[in-house]
Amino acid sequence: MSPTPDGTASPDGSPLPAGWAGRCIVVALLGNPNTGKSTLFSALAGIPTRIGNYPGVTVEEKLGRFTHRGQSIELIDLPGTYSLVPKSPDEQVAVDVLHGRLPDVPTPDCVVVVADATNLERNLYLATQAIELGLPTVVALTLCDVADEKGITIDSAELGRRLVCPVVRVVAPTRTGIDALGDAILSVIHSPRQQPQGLDAHLAAVHPRHEQAAREAIARYAWIEQLLSGVVHRQPPSTRPLGERIDDVLTHRLWGTLVFATTMLAMFSSIFWLATPLMDGISGAMDWLSGLTESLLPEGAIRSLVVNGVLAGVGGVVVFVPQIAMLFLFIAILEGCGYLSRAAFLMDRLLCGVGLGGKSFIPLLSSFACAIPGIMAARTIENPRDRLLTILVAPLMSCSARLPVYLLLCGAFVPNVAVGFSWLRLPAIVLAGMYAVGVATAALVALVLSRTIFRGPPQPFVMELPGWRWPRWPVVLERVREAVWSFLQNAGTLIVAVSIVVWALSSYPRNDTVIDADVAAHREVLTTRLAGLPAGDSDRTDVAEELAALDTDDGLAAARRGAAQRHSALGWMGRLVEPLVRPLGWDWRLGCAAIASFPAREVVLGTLAVIYNLGDIDPGEEEGGTALVRRLRAATWDGTNRRVFTLPVALSIMVFFALCAQCASTLVVIGRETKSWLWPVVTFTYMTVLAWLGAFATYQIGTWLGG
Amino acid sequence: MSLEQVAIGSTARVADVSGSDSTSLRLLEMGLTPGVNVRVVGTAPLGGPLELELRGYRLSIRRHEAARVAIAK
Repeated sequence: MSPTPDGTASPDGSPLPAGWAGRCIVVALLGNPNTGKSTLFSALAGIPTRIGNYPGVTVEEKLGRFTHRGQSIELIDLPGTYSLVPKSPDEQVAVDVLHGRLPDVPTPDCVVVVADATNLERNLYLATQAIELGLPTVVALTLCDVADEKGITIDSAELGRRLVCPVVRVVAPTRTGIDALGDAILSVIHSPRQQPQGLDAHLAAVHPRHEQAAREAIARYAWIEQLLSGVVHRQPPSTRPLGERIDDVLTHRLWGTLVFATTMLAMFSSIFWLATPLMDGISGAMDWLSGLTESLLPEGAIRSLVVNGVLAGVGGVVVFVPQIAMLFLFIAILEGCGYLSRAAFLMDRLLCGVGLGGKSFIPLLSSFACAIPGIMAARTIENPRDRLLTILVAPLMSCSARLPVYLLLCGAFVPNVAVGFSWLRLPAIVLAGMYAVGVATAALVALVLSRTIFRGPPQPFVMELPGWRWPRWPVVLERVREAVWSFLQNAGTLIVAVSIVVWALSSYPRNDTVIDADVAAHREVLTTRLAGLPAGDSDRTDVAEELAALDTDDGLAAARRGAAQRHSALGWMGRLVEPLVRPLGWDWRLGCAAIASFPAREVVLGTLAVIYNLGDIDPGEEEGGTALVRRLRAATWDGTNRRVFTLPVALSIMVFFALCAQCASTLVVIGRETKSWLWPVVTFTYMTVLAWLGAFATYQIGTWLGG
Repeated sequence: MSLEQVAIGSTARVADVSGSDSTSLRLLEMGLTPGVNVRVVGTAPLGGPLELELRGYRLSIRRHEAARVAIAK
């Protein structure tokens, strides 16, 4: 229990009552969403001292600390809420904190209710509920500058008298009224509490056919209308407010949709354009670091562990940071100026059809760049069911790591013929088809899940469209910093660990005798094959080239590296799963590459290059890509001249990659965001099963059509 | 007549919100109480949600939620 101030002055005449001296006052910051609560938090306490989640839920907890007139004050930022009758986890947390029911969260001594001065009627709904809790309360009127522009004047002193609590006008960005707010907090802490009167009288006037909660809501608004009469004066501005004129266009059925599509396109492409050089920079720095390590450490297991395990893992984590930062920068700006709700409004119908809601759109769109920021962006969805569904299907959107696989296979194995028009080529259609496969599967999965395990009463979509305003930079940057930090801190360590495990699997056990025998056998196979091929056969040059490469130092090293991998635990696993991947048209080498890319799908081309004795080339570059394509084209089933890579096989690989959950980072982030290991397991399982079925169907139908 | 049927651009007075679940309570809490004037500002494409103006702010609700809000004639 917090000490209840009795209002008597302390014996020594200090400004604070006995019991407060040396103790920190705990102040809870309560308010509707979009009231400038975060801006006020920054103005009062600066950078938060603690950011995390409330125990057991994914609701963000933010604490700060500041000193006012020598008194230290701890500030708890409560989630934005419209009412103290909880209907969502966010609102439940706000109520629990106010009642001191959460472990490890200090019980508030005082509540500061943030109320948007431009929209007092609805904001006072929560404020009057908070006052009735009986805790010392201060109302902070925010956005007073915007209210002035709109011609709204508020007699805050009279409002304070009617509410029986101090009402302080603040303009948080310019720190106007911040000191007065601090004084008001100190004064209410030790003044006697009086409840405003009025709700009961209005309750009696509401028709008794309504439920208790509904009666209270109706009575409360009637009371608020009475409270505000004579307190708020609206002088209609001479011209229509700019915000309304902006809304006329931006929420218009046609123009709004066009502007929205353009905004999303611009945002999406700039994430690509702006993040790519940064990501290349990070990769370059990691390559440089690997090179440095290679020159400093002697060749052997330690060097391999550091370069291919640790550094590769760290690089694989850090490389996501630019995209996460960019996306959250855009989201925070769009959210800050009020566009995010408009986007959800415009897209709601489209996503409603598959059991999602308008707010799922941006997380899903972002997942085309990378599912990790996309899943993190699902935090903007308040409804827990919609949020979870969005997180579960987000990894089906084809992310940028799948693109190199699609590009290489489409370029190499899909005939470059025109379809209908000379500019419409088959590889481009197949490429677009892969994106469509992901989207269609996501829609289907969302639809099925929302009708089965996520079945429940219809989720309401009652969303405020906040007024237009400029985003506040401290709030925007804080949002970006928090997103990046939580990713690095929580997901980073696990991803590095996974990367080390994969390195170990593909490096051990290692037996030089076996490797030498493998290289010798391979030379034998190539020689026999070359002898059997008639002059002029298209494969002759490729086979001859591979054979010749074995006589060079680099070629031999690459062949030994490939042999080491084929005889490692990974190679053994590839042979083990061969019966499983054979129906997909794959040989055991492809099985190996698929297994190795479960932690991160971007390694698949590199793994294929090693397996096919090309060593550590970069298949992402033109030269490396061409070399890999030639080697893949020439690849045959063990002991035969039958090619492995045909069109149905290439398609089956692409479908598999489109649908499979081959990204440990995504799964770790799902676990983090849902606070449960069940959902990553569910995601991994359903996606892998769908990927296998999809690849199976593709190969079988493709072979049947082609045969 | 319900709020769903109100023409875009026109204003109507709320008579009642039907139902006694959390959705109807939320509609009341957002200010759609009997007697309040609501202007239907617009609608999202493909039969999407409605954009409303009431009590000096803008609110968006889906059509089947708007259908619960009875309008005084």
